[in-house]
Amino acid sequence: MLNIENLYVKTKDNEKEILKGLNLKINDGEVHAIMGPNGAGKSTLSKVIMGHYNYIVEKGTIIFNGEKLNDMSTDERARLGIFLAMQEPAVIKGVTNSEFLKAAISEVTGEKPSLYEFIKDIEKECKNLKFSEDMIHRSINEGFSGGEKKKNEILEMKMLKPKFIILDELDSGLDVDSLKICTDNINEYLKENKDVSVLIITHYPKILSYIKPDYVHVLNNGKIIKTGKADLADYIEENGYTGIKEMD
Amino acid sequence: MNNISKDKKIIIDKDESIFVDGSAEIKIVESIHANVYCLSYNETNEFNIYLEKENSSIDFYYSTINESNNNLKVNVYHNAKNTESHVYNHGVNLENNNLHFDISGYVKKESIGSNCNQDNEIINIKSGKSTICPNLYIDCYDSNSNHSAYIGKFKDEEIFYLESRGLSKKKAYNLLMKSFLIPFITDSKEKDEYVKKIEEIGGELYE
Repeated sequence: MLNIENLYVKTKDNEKEILKGLNLKINDGEVHAIMGPNGAGKSTLSKVIMGHYNYIVEKGTIIFNGEKLNDMSTDERARLGIFLAMQEPAVIKGVTNSEFLKAAISEVTGEKPSLYEFIKDIEKECKNLKFSEDMIHRSINEGFSGGEKKKNEILEMKMLKPKFIILDELDSGLDVDSLKICTDNINEYLKENKDVSVLIITHYPKILSYIKPDYVHVLNNGKIIKTGKADLADYIEENGYTGIKEMD
Repeated sequence: MNNISKDKKIIIDKDESIFVDGSAEIKIVESIHANVYCLSYNETNEFNIYLEKENSSIDFYYSTINESNNNLKVNVYHNAKNTESHVYNHGVNLENNNLHFDISGYVKKESIGSNCNQDNEIINIKSGKSTICPNLYIDCYDSNSNHSAYIGKFKDEEIFYLESRGLSKKKAYNLLMKSFLIPFITDSKEKDEYVKKIEEIGGELYE
């Protein structure tokens, strides 16, 4: 699914090097978690995969299902099936959620969605997420609470049906009940689509008790320094990151 | 909604909403509220608005798509007590040209309790030069007045968010331009008419 090799990334504005030789391989149907201290480069990785405008890839490759992403635009990557649930979703006044989703579905599938099917699907997903239907007639994320913004990300994910999902600190700003609702919806999607892969970026292991990872990686100083199974997250919660030694 | 052609003198004496095609003199002569919309393409326009009756009010929406050097001048005269005006001027400057807004509100000494507001925004798609001159000429101690001015681009984070859901840059700009130029959020007959006008002007707004 995703293969990142020897990735070096710097920021466009102040040319600071953030990722320094990162390697990561995610196969079809796998769930990977990336943990690490603040400033390690976790969110940078998620944005770079999506082609964010503020980052420059100096060296290395990002291959998704055999296609090199490095020179692709953000929308091309999205249409390949990559979805980023953002840590801080943008607020866009004047563009309603429903108008935006209809346009996005049309671009991703290549067909204008039937109004009846669209309404049916969105009503079902709003119900599953316990997300008020009138939110879809409001401007994107305008006036939404932190939890509502994250639920809106998952709503978009379920409507766009991606092959690869990046959850960038989904748990931040989310209460326990809302986190459970969001993760239940993600798990339901994964159950119905067994080849879909997930990359979870998080500080805390709590979310990993809801979406069980196959692998946990520790990212520090711009590269992955340790990879283990799910119990690595428990170790980190008890001992912190300072005890983690770099892999050979 | 009534559709009125350019360079007219318009007298409004009841609650109503109207489209105007361009420059106009608008007089509100009763204690009513009027919504006036103008969608312009590549033109210079001037509007003079007179609130002549106590408790009269107006919401004025001007949206323009611009490809060469053009100006907008709007003068709002509060000539009676407790009058209220909200003027919203939004322009998209497509090329490397000049777009200038000169927007003035006048509140006479006798127009106690009046509320004079203007909100002006210009988006430069390329490297055009835009200027906004928001003026408030207030001779009355007992009134409220506000103005705002923004000149810039569509925010990179907004474009990135739309693109991250599969919309091409062109589609993302189109969506942002429609939301910027159309002052309605909820679906309504007025919104449909506005969208139709945009499509009459150029179909795809950004090529």
